[in-house]
Amino acid sequence: MDRGQFLSHSVSGFGGIALAHLLNSEKLLGTEKVRESAPGKTPVRPLIDPGNPNAARDSHFEPRATQVLQIFCSGAISQIDTFDYKPELIRLHGKPMPGGDKLITFQGEQGNLTKSPWEFKARGQSGKMVSELVPHLGSLADEMCFIHSLTGKTNTHGPGENFMCTGFTLDGFPSAGSWVTYALGSETENLPAYVAISDIRGTPQSSVNCWGPGFLPAAFQGTEFNASKPVRNIARPRGISDITDKATRAFLERQNKRHLNEYPGDNELAARIASYELAAKMQMTIPEVSDISSEPAHVLRDYGADESGSKIKDLRTAHAKNCILARRLLEKGVRFVQLFNGAYQTGGEGVSNWDGHKKIKEQYSIHGPVLDQPTAALLRDLKARGLLENTLVIFNSEFGRMPTFQKGASGRDHNPSGFTSWMAGAGVKAPFSYGATDDFSYKAVENVATVYDFYATVLHILGLDHERLSFYHNGIERRLTDVHGHVIKEVLS
Amino acid sequence: MKRFILTAIHFLFVVSSASGSVKFEAQILPILEKKCFKCHGQEKQKSDLRLDSVAGINKGGSSGEPLFVRGNSAQSLIIHLINSDDLEERMPPEGETELTVGERDLIKEWIDTGAQMPLAPNVIEISTDHWSFQPVQRPNIPEVKGDWGNNEIDSFILEKILSKKLSPSSVSEPRKLIRRIYQVMHGLPPSEDMIAKHLKQIANDDWVSVVDEVLASPRYGERIARHWLDIVRFAETNGFETNRERLTAYHFRDYVIRSFNEDKPYDQFIIEQLAGDASGVDVGTGFLVAGPHDIVKSPDINLTLMQRNDEMADMINTTGTAFLGLTIGCARCHNHKFDPILQKDYYSMQAVFSGVRYGERMMPKNNDEAAKKSLMELEKKAQSMSKELDSLKLISSQIKAKGNGHNVKRESVSARGNTEIFDEIKTKHVRFTVRRTNNGGQPCIDELRVFNTKGQNVALAKKGATAESSGNLKGYEIHKLEHINDGKDGNPRSWISDTSGTGWVKITFAKESNINKIEWARDREGNFSDRLAIDYIIEHSLDGQSWHKVVGSEDREPYGGAVAANDAFLTFLPDNDAERGRNLMRNLQRIRNEISSYRNGSKAWVAKFEKPGKTHRLYRGDPMAKREVVAPDTLEILGSLKMSEDEDEQQRRHRLAQSIANEKNPLTARVMVNRLWQFVFGVGIVDTPSDLGSNGTDPTHPQLLDWMASEFMQKDWSIKHMLKILLCSDTFRQSSRPRTDAIKVDAGSRYLWRFPPRRLEAEAIRDSILAVAGTLDLNMGGPGFYLLDVDRENVVHYHPKEKTGPEEWRRMIYMFKIRQEQDLIFGAFDCPDGNQVIPERSRSTTPIQALNLFNSHFIVQQSGKMSDKLLQEAGDSVEKQVRTAYQLYYGRPALVDEINDATAFVRDHSLADFCRAMFNSNEFLFTF
Repeated sequence: MDRGQFLSHSVSGFGGIALAHLLNSEKLLGTEKVRESAPGKTPVRPLIDPGNPNAARDSHFEPRATQVLQIFCSGAISQIDTFDYKPELIRLHGKPMPGGDKLITFQGEQGNLTKSPWEFKARGQSGKMVSELVPHLGSLADEMCFIHSLTGKTNTHGPGENFMCTGFTLDGFPSAGSWVTYALGSETENLPAYVAISDIRGTPQSSVNCWGPGFLPAAFQGTEFNASKPVRNIARPRGISDITDKATRAFLERQNKRHLNEYPGDNELAARIASYELAAKMQMTIPEVSDISSEPAHVLRDYGADESGSKIKDLRTAHAKNCILARRLLEKGVRFVQLFNGAYQTGGEGVSNWDGHKKIKEQYSIHGPVLDQPTAALLRDLKARGLLENTLVIFNSEFGRMPTFQKGASGRDHNPSGFTSWMAGAGVKAPFSYGATDDFSYKAVENVATVYDFYATVLHILGLDHERLSFYHNGIERRLTDVHGHVIKEVLS
Repeated sequence: MKRFILTAIHFLFVVSSASGSVKFEAQILPILEKKCFKCHGQEKQKSDLRLDSVAGINKGGSSGEPLFVRGNSAQSLIIHLINSDDLEERMPPEGETELTVGERDLIKEWIDTGAQMPLAPNVIEISTDHWSFQPVQRPNIPEVKGDWGNNEIDSFILEKILSKKLSPSSVSEPRKLIRRIYQVMHGLPPSEDMIAKHLKQIANDDWVSVVDEVLASPRYGERIARHWLDIVRFAETNGFETNRERLTAYHFRDYVIRSFNEDKPYDQFIIEQLAGDASGVDVGTGFLVAGPHDIVKSPDINLTLMQRNDEMADMINTTGTAFLGLTIGCARCHNHKFDPILQKDYYSMQAVFSGVRYGERMMPKNNDEAAKKSLMELEKKAQSMSKELDSLKLISSQIKAKGNGHNVKRESVSARGNTEIFDEIKTKHVRFTVRRTNNGGQPCIDELRVFNTKGQNVALAKKGATAESSGNLKGYEIHKLEHINDGKDGNPRSWISDTSGTGWVKITFAKESNINKIEWARDREGNFSDRLAIDYIIEHSLDGQSWHKVVGSEDREPYGGAVAANDAFLTFLPDNDAERGRNLMRNLQRIRNEISSYRNGSKAWVAKFEKPGKTHRLYRGDPMAKREVVAPDTLEILGSLKMSEDEDEQQRRHRLAQSIANEKNPLTARVMVNRLWQFVFGVGIVDTPSDLGSNGTDPTHPQLLDWMASEFMQKDWSIKHMLKILLCSDTFRQSSRPRTDAIKVDAGSRYLWRFPPRRLEAEAIRDSILAVAGTLDLNMGGPGFYLLDVDRENVVHYHPKEKTGPEEWRRMIYMFKIRQEQDLIFGAFDCPDGNQVIPERSRSTTPIQALNLFNSHFIVQQSGKMSDKLLQEAGDSVEKQVRTAYQLYYGRPALVDEINDATAFVRDHSLADFCRAMFNSNEFLFTF
């Protein structure tokens, strides 16, 4: 390994002189301690240019994918009503779950086994059974690699979304996107390296934790915006003309450069000067990339972005526009794009997210069509444009739902014991299904996988060893996979 | 890597007289020797397990789990491991060392028949040779030649610099030095007056006076408190998905600021935070519950137990990192991998905190004479301010009535309180009729106040007023008619009508009164906003027969559910009156809060205590896998406190606190002086300031650290004393200019051959902008201001405010600190969100920061204010404006080419544009 990579930058990040510090051949003061990030393994420290912290960096080994699209269904989408087909559940519909006596889950007691209100049909060449709730996505089953045996650690939304996004149930840990941009930087410098496209209805339950940097430097936080909500502070302030704005920037640069003469070679000062140049570029490119009005009519139609007038149509159009935005960002080389579907703000308990406790049929009858066509169109479009060759797509939710209806209700309670995620695109085997739950989709029983395994695999596909991508924080070399995780080799292409 | 060793490492097996059917020496030991010693013996200790000594066998491996339970093989870890079907788990691993069936049976039998072993100490002894656990000894001051150096610190620093063939830098230019000490110790730039004064002091070789003055300012406490609040993960919401507000958590912040300003001895400060309730300083225990906690409850017992264990983990972890510089939290699931901390120790600490609960409670009331006097003064002040404000409101309504104002409606109603101002009326009855509520529910009013022209509330029952209504909601103790005028606020003392959406309530005064103001609210405590009257009329009557309208809701903005702007009346007033009104409102609110806490004591978010149950060690930290009961204690390595399993709750914390705030504790003083060093120089002598354990880094100047720790304790743990030494040193006063020769050797400036420059933190940037623009409100203490709008439902949502005004122009430490969510501008400047302890902030530079600081409404607004200020101070001459600006922004005169460049720019554009650039400039945002 490159000796330079061994030398960590100080814990305070890459401030100022740190670059010189980094490249200094002498190991200074014995303070650059080499700690273990896993038994027998040492961290691979990314070499970060303070002037451009998101400049592209090499992966640990040859990557299978270089970009990530994470589709996140907030509120816990039911695997039972989408991708996890269970004939036994249909057969025993209305009967108590065998072995499920007096089962207490998140909201309380369980009623009887209840089959999905949506029928399952065989899809594609593979004949994968996918429900009628998501027929468009179903039609792409041959592109997908399902993991049916995922397990979580909590049955509460907040900690669950934290866990699925950061690898920890507690608040305050870096999101997967932050880890990836910390390791790899980005291929584009005119756009943020990491973008979180929020649902127009609001944020997920864990809110900004899902794209937060935790204890990583702020440079690696996700920038949140969507097709209808621009990046904050991106626009030139009202009342200031373009000419004045440019002149002000130029004056600022002259003032900073005069001052830099007094501190020659100071990287932190130079980095701030550079950051204003990057900001000016972003000020141009972010509105450009977010403006989907230039998309041809047939694209809008394919995505379902051309209809309005009913609740479903309006929401679908909004999600579709976000899907188009996601594609445009990936096209420009953004490293990590998160696309959220579902929000808590405008109605928890399934009203505006996937948390179908009480009236799952009624609520999912809205959420399904909103998610389905646009997301499927996005996948298809990525493939048609060749973007799937280097983009890994992952589809997640904080956990799954119960095969029973809650006692006295027409919906399903939380279930972290066995749920489904899928992957598609670069680096994964498709069509493929890995792992399985029991006869009812209650518990993972075959090839049981953890969220740690899931992310170990994601990082592996990106050419990163999840045991060596770490950051020292309060006594520990912290990792996305904590002290766990095994790459699920079976799903690799 | 592993530095701690078992003290009992010698082969201890001697012939035993104990009897059991299986003989350890004859039957078990040979198995261990043959099959286990290779990995768990003298050479290697995989998983920290040694089987070649009794102590080692008793201690077990890194899981913290004992190897066996005497007499119960079924519950013994070793039996589980040697029989496991999981090949990754099975011991010994597959291969030639595998145990035979006979051997396995023998071990099982040995355990079941009592696991006899040779005599060995019961106590597991651990020791360490790690530096931070060794007693603090005051080292000799190094003797160094030359005239550089002002105090002891300089001797240590110079010795190191010279040994690296470096040399110190010359003393910094006085103006830079003044700016530096203010930025470092106040987080604000010095004012013009202070610069002038200090320049004289420096010319008289009296730097000490500068240091003394800086440390005496209340701005000092605010600055150091900001650092401390990072270390103790303070924030004012619960975190997790509900993230509800803790409206009284600010008392702890005020306590921390006060403690630093008073230079409270650090040992006392520690004890108060862990067990302040033992000495009447309950507010200190806000420390224990300053972290996040999850209030989502479920009937699922696993979840409930895990939540509780997470809460205590947060307390243990913060106590460990903040005071001891140890990551005790790492021992929750297994023995600490690097430091001499057993899993048992973690649960001993958990037993210490197991009676601590989250919540609000009343603080003891201060009843002494001084307090009474202050209360009287405050009340007088509040009354006169309130009168002044009313007269402004009257002027406003007159302007409006004349149609001079724009056609602006009054603010919409607010659940928290509404004021009706009108011309004086002589009357005896007032009737408040609700026609519609916001949610259609029966209307609720917590208190109706009617004021006479002397500012007295004549509606009070105790003043002889009586109340009547259209009907009262039945069956609720907390909702009664008599609550409408009992002088008490809040939902638990409120009136609710018995009809949906409508109802009236009438107050009859003891005698005819001249009234000119009415106040009413749904819930002044802010917990409820339903049942709010949004369509209403207020009438009065002299005789109780004929009624006349006083005011109504028709001229209010329609109710939108959002927090109403109660300062809408200001829009009708001329500018100077509006400004006066705004200040009055702000200060009045603050004074009213103070009055309330004097009168009622104050409610505060601090720890609540209950009788603790038993604490068990948990196998792998799993709350469902309880093991033996553990008594409260500190870490074994620091010596036992010898408390019983049923020790009194307060005693547990108090005893632990005393053992931490103790000169015999090798860590406490070292940890704190290292932090002080970091506050001053940017990086600590140990650059992992909350981890002085083996996984932390070694000190660059171990002797210096020890000298400071010793000095700190000798001088009664005075923080100001230590800071004064640091600030008076030549080390601090060096120039910050880079030198090529030195950079080559020590680019990080860790040897302090210069003062290392650094960017200001988020809070210091915002405070400095406001200070320079002359808009900073220096009022201290009390509830924080919000940089986010709050949307209160089951789960609270926060939306960053696009625009801010004087209400939000206080120092940022007083910002209501919301977990997770960050404000629009400064969140991007590595501002921690209070979810984790952050002993040292990262310092990144990003284009998003640039966008925020260049384009935000706040910057444009403050640039405008700054431009006004410059015009006022410098008049029409552009050159003079520019010269003044450089003084204010950078604390130095402008250079010739700066004047030329800037004047040309201002002429082509505007002064405000120039100010915008200057707020973004490096020289403004860094400490040099």
